[in-house]
Amino acid sequence: MAQIDKKTLEHLADLARIKITEKEEDKLVEDLKKILNYFEELQALDTKKIPPMAGGTDLKNMTREDEINQDLAKSREALINLFPEKEGDFLKIPPVFE
Amino acid sequence: MHMNLTNLTIKKFQEGLKNKKFSVFEIAEEYFKHIEKKDPEINAYISLLKESALKKAGEADIKKAKGETLAPLTGIPLAIKDNILIENEITTSASKILENYKASYDATVIKKLKNEGAIFLGKTNMDEFAMGSSTENSAFKKTKNPRDVSRVPGGSSGGSAAAVAADMAVAGLGSDTGGSIRQPASFCGVVGLKPTYGAVSRYGLMAMASSLDQIGPITKTVEDAEILFNAIKGFDPMDATSQRLTTDNLQPTTTKNLTIGLPKEYFIKEGLDDQTTKAISEAIESLKKAGIKFKEISLPHTKYALSCYYIIMPAEVSANLTRFDGIRYARIAGRGSQTETLKEIYFRQRGEGFGPEVKRRIILGTFVLSSGYYDAYYAKAQKVRNLIRKDFDKAFDPSAGGVDVILTPVSPTPAFHFGEKTDDPLKMYLSDIFTIPANLAGLPAISISTRPMENPPVGFQLIGKHFKENDILEIGKLYESR
Repeated sequence: MAQIDKKTLEHLADLARIKITEKEEDKLVEDLKKILNYFEELQALDTKKIPPMAGGTDLKNMTREDEINQDLAKSREALINLFPEKEGDFLKIPPVFE
Repeated sequence: MHMNLTNLTIKKFQEGLKNKKFSVFEIAEEYFKHIEKKDPEINAYISLLKESALKKAGEADIKKAKGETLAPLTGIPLAIKDNILIENEITTSASKILENYKASYDATVIKKLKNEGAIFLGKTNMDEFAMGSSTENSAFKKTKNPRDVSRVPGGSSGGSAAAVAADMAVAGLGSDTGGSIRQPASFCGVVGLKPTYGAVSRYGLMAMASSLDQIGPITKTVEDAEILFNAIKGFDPMDATSQRLTTDNLQPTTTKNLTIGLPKEYFIKEGLDDQTTKAISEAIESLKKAGIKFKEISLPHTKYALSCYYIIMPAEVSANLTRFDGIRYARIAGRGSQTETLKEIYFRQRGEGFGPEVKRRIILGTFVLSSGYYDAYYAKAQKVRNLIRKDFDKAFDPSAGGVDVILTPVSPTPAFHFGEKTDDPLKMYLSDIFTIPANLAGLPAISISTRPMENPPVGFQLIGKHFKENDILEIGKLYESR
């Protein structure tokens, strides 16, 4: 089934926004090949009529009132103070579109 | 004053405090003395909270002297895994990318424990972002197993388990996604409880795989696990998976009428080492003598659980860890130029900030979710997860002569040596094979050390029905009382 090579890995690393060094690349390709190979055992199972189990609970549409949570409001300042770069209360980042 | 911390449990602490055998401050101070002597060897803690802990301890003593009513867990010194937020304290998840991250609020479990009067001694070491089975994936240090320092403490909550086993805390909190509370508890000869999915709020726990994560206690006795579990459980509107317990769930259990199932798929000869087999057989014999009925059962899809888990978990990891981008929380200093673009920031922060196992899982998760492979891997795994859950439903079904509790080993082997499995991720993953199914099915499960303790320790696992923590706790207490 799925084949993973350096080219695929580079594409995945790009999607995941992770810099991977040349040395890491070789080991990762080898590890991923082994792991994906292990997954092959699942193909032996007939799951055509089995519905997927999405998530760990049968709860549905858990909603709550859209009210101001004072505890959250309290931690706002602390959150803003964590920003590595800011301007006023805004998070500062380099331009998204170059 | 010299106190014996070795046999100190939550229960004994409460009695001692009541009978004025010691003050809260004396105990807290004694713990820090012991930690300062012992932890340079064990490395259970990433950071200590000495100042705030001693301050809280002093305040508790003043309250007591004034005759004020004390909260039930007043003064109980706890070790907290470093992926659980304590307001204003550095919380790293043992990752370089969060080395300087200071939590801006309390996790719900921390808030509850603070209200109960508990004291936090420090934040414990773990596999980076809870990804690992030996705590060797910490970006900061290697925790040693206090029972045999040539061996790993297990993981990912290895720091909390080692702290409790080495008497550097009365009890601790861990998190469990595929066995991260139970396996280290077993390796370190202590007790670890993974509650039912939805029983304990994860608000303020750094998310790893959200459909699997649970917070739970690591303690010296089953009784203590029950006390801590009762303190942290309950509905929380801040966690959408949190459940309101009905009165039925809270019914006390008597062990008299309980039947334990032994799933044959967990006791295959080639899958278990001899010492583990022997210790667990003895535990089963002891429970039989106590009047518990046993029955062989089958959970036929057990062998697919590992594959299923290692598809679903990395998929969720790859999504959950996008938030760590060097933009919102903390940023690694160093080589980046002033003119770094947004994309360059992402790549460098995540490239340098994450360790090899975290990268491996993010890449793997990105792969199984990518177009063209989604159906073959992720969708397939979700269906297999359903089959695994149905196995348990059937085994527990009273109308089909089902059992009440299931007993299995926690791990195929006792604690292994450092470096033994670090080169081969698949080999490391296999050490979770017996703990993963309870996470996939959302069931409560506890790891209990066999008695007398083996060297290195061996644990057995009790898996209960959804929200029937009481069943496994009562059987655990029965075992420990013998």
